[in-house]
Amino acid sequence: MTSNIRNIINRVGGRVALLALICLVLNFIYTRFFWIDDLEQYAPMLSELISVKDSAEVLYFGESSNFSTHPDDSLKEPISKFISYHFPDSRFATINNSAYHAGLYLQLIRQIDKGSKVQMVIVTLNMRTFDQAAINSKLESALQKSNTMYHPRPPLMNRFLMSLNFYDNRDSMQRDLQTWKSWTYDTLKSDDPKIKFDPNTIRRWCETIKFPDSNGIENMPLRLMADHNIKAFAFQINDQNPRVRDFDEIVRVCRDKNLRLVLNLMAENVEYADSFVGENLVWLMRQNRNYLINRYQSGNVLVVDNLESVHGKHYRDQDWTTEHYDQIGRQIIAKNVTDSIIRRKWLNGSTY
Amino acid sequence: MDIFAKYLKIQRLLFNSVAFLIFLPCVVILFYLLPHRFRWILLLASSYLFYGWWKVEFLALIIFSTVLDYVVARLIYFSRFRIIRIGLLLISLGANLGLLFLFKYYIMFSAKPEDDMLFTIYMVDFPFKALVLYGIYYAIPVGISFYTFQTLSYTLDVFNRKAEPEKHLGKFALFVSFFPQLVAGPIERFTHLMPQLKKKVEPLYENFSNAFRLMLFGFFVKICVADNLSLLVDQVYANPDAYNLFSRWFGTIGFGFQIYADFAGYSLIAQGAALCLGVNLMDNFKTPYLSVTITEFWKRWHISLSTWFRDYLYIPLGGNRVNVFRWAFNILLVFAISGMWHGANKTFLIWGLIHGGLYLVERFIFGNKTGESKFLKASSALVTFLGVQLAWVFFRSKSTQSSIHQLASLFDSGGNESLIIKGSVILILIIFILSDLVLYNRRIDSYLGTLSKPVRWSVYTFFLWSITAWGGTTDHPFIYFQF
Repeated sequence: MTSNIRNIINRVGGRVALLALICLVLNFIYTRFFWIDDLEQYAPMLSELISVKDSAEVLYFGESSNFSTHPDDSLKEPISKFISYHFPDSRFATINNSAYHAGLYLQLIRQIDKGSKVQMVIVTLNMRTFDQAAINSKLESALQKSNTMYHPRPPLMNRFLMSLNFYDNRDSMQRDLQTWKSWTYDTLKSDDPKIKFDPNTIRRWCETIKFPDSNGIENMPLRLMADHNIKAFAFQINDQNPRVRDFDEIVRVCRDKNLRLVLNLMAENVEYADSFVGENLVWLMRQNRNYLINRYQSGNVLVVDNLESVHGKHYRDQDWTTEHYDQIGRQIIAKNVTDSIIRRKWLNGSTY
Repeated sequence: MDIFAKYLKIQRLLFNSVAFLIFLPCVVILFYLLPHRFRWILLLASSYLFYGWWKVEFLALIIFSTVLDYVVARLIYFSRFRIIRIGLLLISLGANLGLLFLFKYYIMFSAKPEDDMLFTIYMVDFPFKALVLYGIYYAIPVGISFYTFQTLSYTLDVFNRKAEPEKHLGKFALFVSFFPQLVAGPIERFTHLMPQLKKKVEPLYENFSNAFRLMLFGFFVKICVADNLSLLVDQVYANPDAYNLFSRWFGTIGFGFQIYADFAGYSLIAQGAALCLGVNLMDNFKTPYLSVTITEFWKRWHISLSTWFRDYLYIPLGGNRVNVFRWAFNILLVFAISGMWHGANKTFLIWGLIHGGLYLVERFIFGNKTGESKFLKASSALVTFLGVQLAWVFFRSKSTQSSIHQLASLFDSGGNESLIIKGSVILILIIFILSDLVLYNRRIDSYLGTLSKPVRWSVYTFFLWSITAWGGTTDHPFIYFQF
């Protein structure tokens, strides 16, 4: 038996070494001739990052909040562009893609070489991405697939792992189940005596009769808007939230790479949340805002608080909760970011 | 490393997963390190881990089936009275088929969680009902049809005195749950698999070499052919009207190749994994699309299931020793049941009946003769191929209406969109078709063994390249896992 095993090891050993060598050669060929095409197809943000990371000094990482516009806008610039106008001496580049979140920014930031020209990264901090519905979004599997290609591993290995679906590829039903469980069973907690939450808070909140007329019949459009706001914002961020872990890691990576980090906390339609649902929901939004600022505001991290800075009418989507602003909304956010950076003296620029 | 561990935990333990690529070598190394008398324990534990990884609750069912058939088969064998033996057999059949019916058919008939709209409505109005339905959906155990048929064949063999009952419950449990073929076959017979599981195996270089070839080709076929085609096929089936005639035909025939590559790929990997442990599983596919007749197709397609139906249903019904009408009825019945074995959808029934009908037409018109002329054979093979491909439309579609719509779309003018097919996919498909021609009545492992070293290693390199660089990126588990 032992001699048999030794014989096999001898025969297999050389072949395994040959296979490993073949894999190295294949990786070289793939990286040289096929990788960029695959990146453009599966992970376009990385190919964009590769093209700018040796020239840009400031990188803005964002999602649709950055580039969405209102049909009536005369100015179509994204937030990142508005910011860059005030720092003419610094070369800005924008890496943005719909529905991106901290988990994806993290892998992209990891790809920035230590000692590169990049001095500062501005990362979109979207509160709604901490919500269960966003964490378990149907888009998440597709995003995680892209994420496989962002990992700092040999490119051929990333491509292979993508074929093996080596990412969080739970199907939409499994994800919905998590969201619905949370909506059905979660109980929110308050340490403020004026704010009280029922057990199974979200479910109870959604079941409450809203906007009834004199006959007790609900105004359905208003009710749906209220329920939607509840589902989008009735949650409490804690240390276990996967986005928190991603942002923690972003902070650590930026510190390691000596990058200044600006976390751009996006505005939410607090005004509508208040009018459709009420002060309890606004209390939760502010509590979450405070949690994020307290957790991340530090020496090399600047958190720009835009949560309540954009008036309700400046949101493009008036019947849905999004962070899509008109030109005024985008400029307000850009101004806050610009002024905060200048106050910190991280870049030389002109204030609004 | 943290992310690696996280994804390993989330991932299903499929053959085409990183988890399996770690799991299999660990089991193989431990297997040969252990003394022979303890190996069954390792294999049983590994098999239960493999199955429990999907959902640990599923293990209860497989353990129930195992214990039941172990006890019943022993009682049947030692019982003197035929009536008692029949009664015991009925208990086994009732319990196994009952469970199969409960989990696979009743639940599928009663809950259709793929209907998102229904669930949205449920969620708004009856959140608890939605959660319960979801829970039920995820309670459908994978591979239940496969292991149920495997244990049934054992009980029937013991009843018919073709096999002696197993004395060792643990080893019998291993026969039921042997992980390489647990969730999608091949459905092995007790008399073929059990002696191999008991036999003392030495590590043999030839076994590892052949296993490597089988698995490499299996991965190529699954990851490169099936997964790349799935993306194209899904597009056409989602909206056939939008595509031009070529794309519609490509999508339709493409599904035939997708399901073949998907299932044959799985079977090859299963054979390779088993061979690493010194077990030879039966061949499940033998270049079925080169069949000259439907009769031949069923001797080459999903062989373990078609022989199961032949031995445990068709022959007990009288086979061909009955009058012609009864025979035709038996044929249709067997094909109808084999269709329904795939699931509780009318489309599977129609698919089975189409095959049954084609089989009967062929036998009534041509008898057992296929003709000697090469031209006739080639024409017959082409007609068989087309018949099989068009029948797949029912298998693939979600409803009868969409099947008919898909079929009709093959014969009208078509839309403007055309499928975008990458050059690499076309090359992979050509290689796959050529490999079928080359491997006619041969297995990939033995064929590669006949090639010179440089050619063989060039083939390995091509497969490695295709698997790593050109693999499909859609998240498609093996199609037959749902059955």
